[in-house]
Amino acid sequence: MTEAKLLVQGIPPEPLDRPFTVIGHSISRIDGVEKVSGTAEYAGDIQLPNMLCAKILRCPHAHARILKIDTSKAEALPGVKAVISRNNFPDWLTYWYLIPQFAFPEIVSYVGQEVAAVAAVDIDTAERALKLIEVDYQELPAVFDPEEALKPTSQKVTPLDVPDSTCPRAPAAWPVGNLYEGKTDIHTRGDIAKGFQDADVVIEEVYNTSYQFHATLQTRSSVIDWDGENMTVHDSCQGVWQVSQDIAKSLGLPMEKVRVVVKYQGGGFGSKAGAQRYLHYASRLAMMAGRPVRIELTRPEEFISHPHRHATKTYLKMGVKRDGTLTAMEGRSILNLGVGSTYGNQKEKLIETAFELYECPNVKLEQVAVYTNTPLTGYMRSVMRAIGDFFLEAHMDRLAVEIGMDPLDLRMKNYAVFGDQVKKLPYSAKNLDKCMKISTDAIDWKHRDRFVEDNKNGPIKRGIGMASYMYDGVGMAPFKASADVVIKRNGTVEVLAGVVDIGGGQATMMAMLAAEELGVNVNSVKTVWGDTGPTQFAPGTHASRMTAEMGPAVVQAAANARKKLFELTAQRLSAEPIELRSALGKIQVSRDQQRSMSFEEACQLIPDGEEIRASGSRKPNPKDIVFHTFGSQACEVEVNTDTGAVRVLRVASAHELGKVLNPKLVDSQHYGGIIMGIGYTLLEDPEFDSKTGIMLNPDLHQYRIPTSLEVPEILPFNIEAPDPFFAYSAKAVGEAPIVPVAPSVRNAIYHAAGIWINSLPITPDAVLKALGKSK
Amino acid sequence: MTSIGELRLHMEPKTLVDENRHQNQPRRVRRIVLSINGDSHSIEVDARSTLAEVLRENLRMTGTKLGCNRSECGTCTLIMDGRTVFSCTILAVEAEGKCIETIEGLASGSDLNPLQKAFIKNDALQCGYCIPAMLMAATALLRVKMEPTEDDVRQGIAGVYCRCGAYPNIVRAVLDVSRGQVDC
Repeated sequence: MTEAKLLVQGIPPEPLDRPFTVIGHSISRIDGVEKVSGTAEYAGDIQLPNMLCAKILRCPHAHARILKIDTSKAEALPGVKAVISRNNFPDWLTYWYLIPQFAFPEIVSYVGQEVAAVAAVDIDTAERALKLIEVDYQELPAVFDPEEALKPTSQKVTPLDVPDSTCPRAPAAWPVGNLYEGKTDIHTRGDIAKGFQDADVVIEEVYNTSYQFHATLQTRSSVIDWDGENMTVHDSCQGVWQVSQDIAKSLGLPMEKVRVVVKYQGGGFGSKAGAQRYLHYASRLAMMAGRPVRIELTRPEEFISHPHRHATKTYLKMGVKRDGTLTAMEGRSILNLGVGSTYGNQKEKLIETAFELYECPNVKLEQVAVYTNTPLTGYMRSVMRAIGDFFLEAHMDRLAVEIGMDPLDLRMKNYAVFGDQVKKLPYSAKNLDKCMKISTDAIDWKHRDRFVEDNKNGPIKRGIGMASYMYDGVGMAPFKASADVVIKRNGTVEVLAGVVDIGGGQATMMAMLAAEELGVNVNSVKTVWGDTGPTQFAPGTHASRMTAEMGPAVVQAAANARKKLFELTAQRLSAEPIELRSALGKIQVSRDQQRSMSFEEACQLIPDGEEIRASGSRKPNPKDIVFHTFGSQACEVEVNTDTGAVRVLRVASAHELGKVLNPKLVDSQHYGGIIMGIGYTLLEDPEFDSKTGIMLNPDLHQYRIPTSLEVPEILPFNIEAPDPFFAYSAKAVGEAPIVPVAPSVRNAIYHAAGIWINSLPITPDAVLKALGKSK
Repeated sequence: MTSIGELRLHMEPKTLVDENRHQNQPRRVRRIVLSINGDSHSIEVDARSTLAEVLRENLRMTGTKLGCNRSECGTCTLIMDGRTVFSCTILAVEAEGKCIETIEGLASGSDLNPLQKAFIKNDALQCGYCIPAMLMAATALLRVKMEPTEDDVRQGIAGVYCRCGAYPNIVRAVLDVSRGQVDC
């Protein structure tokens, strides 16, 4: 038996000493029927009696001082029930994942910032009321480019974020100039100058990445019900407890008076972690009007008013010996934060992959975050890792070509064994080498020059590329993750988990974990999720944390519940509780399996009117071990050198995640991440007017996300390896598969057409430019 | 030179959000009869309302979703007279006399149809928001192409976005049904 190491509060349960009966099976998700029959109720589907509609007035300028707001005409319009602006709430602070932000500041700092909000009997009246609000703006010069904003002469941006050292996501201090907290973050080891002296080849490049928008198909929607004392928010967020925390703080209510419910929501991808700005205004309007309020953002609002992935620019220089040994790495990454961001706990994340992924003795990497008069930035599917992997893995291929080495061999040559190369901290598990081998074998990497002959003729060129990655997303602070398991007398089991199922199948996985640990069939377990009412505090479903963080809590709760049930059962089976085992709805005595009873029979022993209830709580990761997941992707692409179009034909994706709880749910995450990654790499091209800061394509026709036609053949591989700190070893998968898509596609484009492209997205125009066919 | 942004600023000076509704038209109430999933519904509607709005708000058939309200995302796809349409850009009054089919009509009571079962079996859904539209697009496709190729299926659902990226499983589910491979 392996040692009990599960990351839980108190004594960890012993690992199960029998084969899995539920875990590892492709069980259909428990909310599938509702989703295919149209009965799954999303926030925008909810209609309450007397419900009002809310709309937000947004600023058309990138930087302006509000001299005066006159809302009197709007207030006088029949049907208008509440109007808010800085006239009645001048000092109001809202909270976004506990980051304090100004609700209605005097200076507005980006196009689309909220200036006033209205609740009215119907949407027509609310929109008419917005038009009646008169705002006098004094326009101010604005700055959109972060390098421009770093200059001492730059216009100063007034960020929305208010420093708060108690919140890890908030800045600890005001910016200096426009530099976040007035300082950059630097990772170093070794001696950079000596490292470059030791190199045979030194390559310097500049890499640019664009913003990426989440483009969730459901626009942000909420229905807020206020009865004069208690608030219920039917929301579309990713974390019910986080939104409850934020809204309670913003409105000055105790948390227990703000219940947040999200059974279904139409996509998150990081953008709905914590209460969004619009929700604070709508909640305030509901309180003022004393009636339920519904708010649904329009598609253009969705683009301009919510946080997205940062645009970046990275200067990177690396040195390598002819034999492939990396000697030095020096880089500076500049991030555009916009006017506010969840950046506080990501100050190392952009450069961390480059710092850790390969063995390199001399490194200096700097991360520079800058406020500008552009919209908010925040979490999005591997927000920083996807960028950090792009410039590192792009550069690795460039180095390999320069020294005439196979890019896969260069990566293996510099394989890093330790999580911290100076302190030599171990990883809890690392099988990246296996991932690289499996993904490259799957697309016949060894014969990757098979296209050379065909590529000589005609405009279509084929090529193969790869990239490796690491992903954290497990057990991050701030930390509170608890779950309950209830066994009822009628033999049913409930898992109470305050998590949101954002489409990853989180509710299904909670049921599977409890079923496995209790030894019952999964269909006798019901998950209660997405509701702060009946559950304990849980993390939000983002940062790929749900299985890794709630998993141990659910397993512990189920193990505790099982223990109580065995105590009731033991005497009846003439055995000690410790001798009992359960599987597939049957409880047996381990040394004499003839002595058994069904789980239902055992539940009958629970005294009438009572139930068994047990809790479990995750504890934070220990500090002396590094927890990561790893992986590698290899892809085959086709470049049309006449049109510049790039098609991804095949992607082999190998991800190390500890243990696969449910194969078909895990494969879906490979698909989702890779497809969104193809959008990021090739299609998604937001444009902002350089004079006004206005987004020119805030719609899904011109900001193109992948359709069924852009999807390649995807070959998912899941690499399992024991990691007893987690629930049956299961770690994270949700975000990681997006990470290597951009660099592997970019590297394959070089292999196909002989062009290095260092900016995302790689549009047909960019390809033609690189080919010298367009200016 | 005036930039596009400045032009936009001039055109949309107030809210910078799409006022997709028809405010310049006066509100006019009309009684119409809609045939939805074989049932007749006689209802009073604002003549400016779209079919999607009437389904969702007046008839409370919220299975049909909205994602952009202007024919970009396909989330509101349903079947009208045998063809898929974006219900967000069809007026309800235009739909009078047409045969409308929505997600609510696919199952018979609690019995899911083979396509619905195949979606669940193949995990052809994640957040689920686009799924009603995907199912309607696939239903319409399978009526005109009983034995579609993979490419036919991709084309058939290309008007509906799925940001979760469930496409490979959706295609597989539709192909399974066309080949009679649903056993659940």
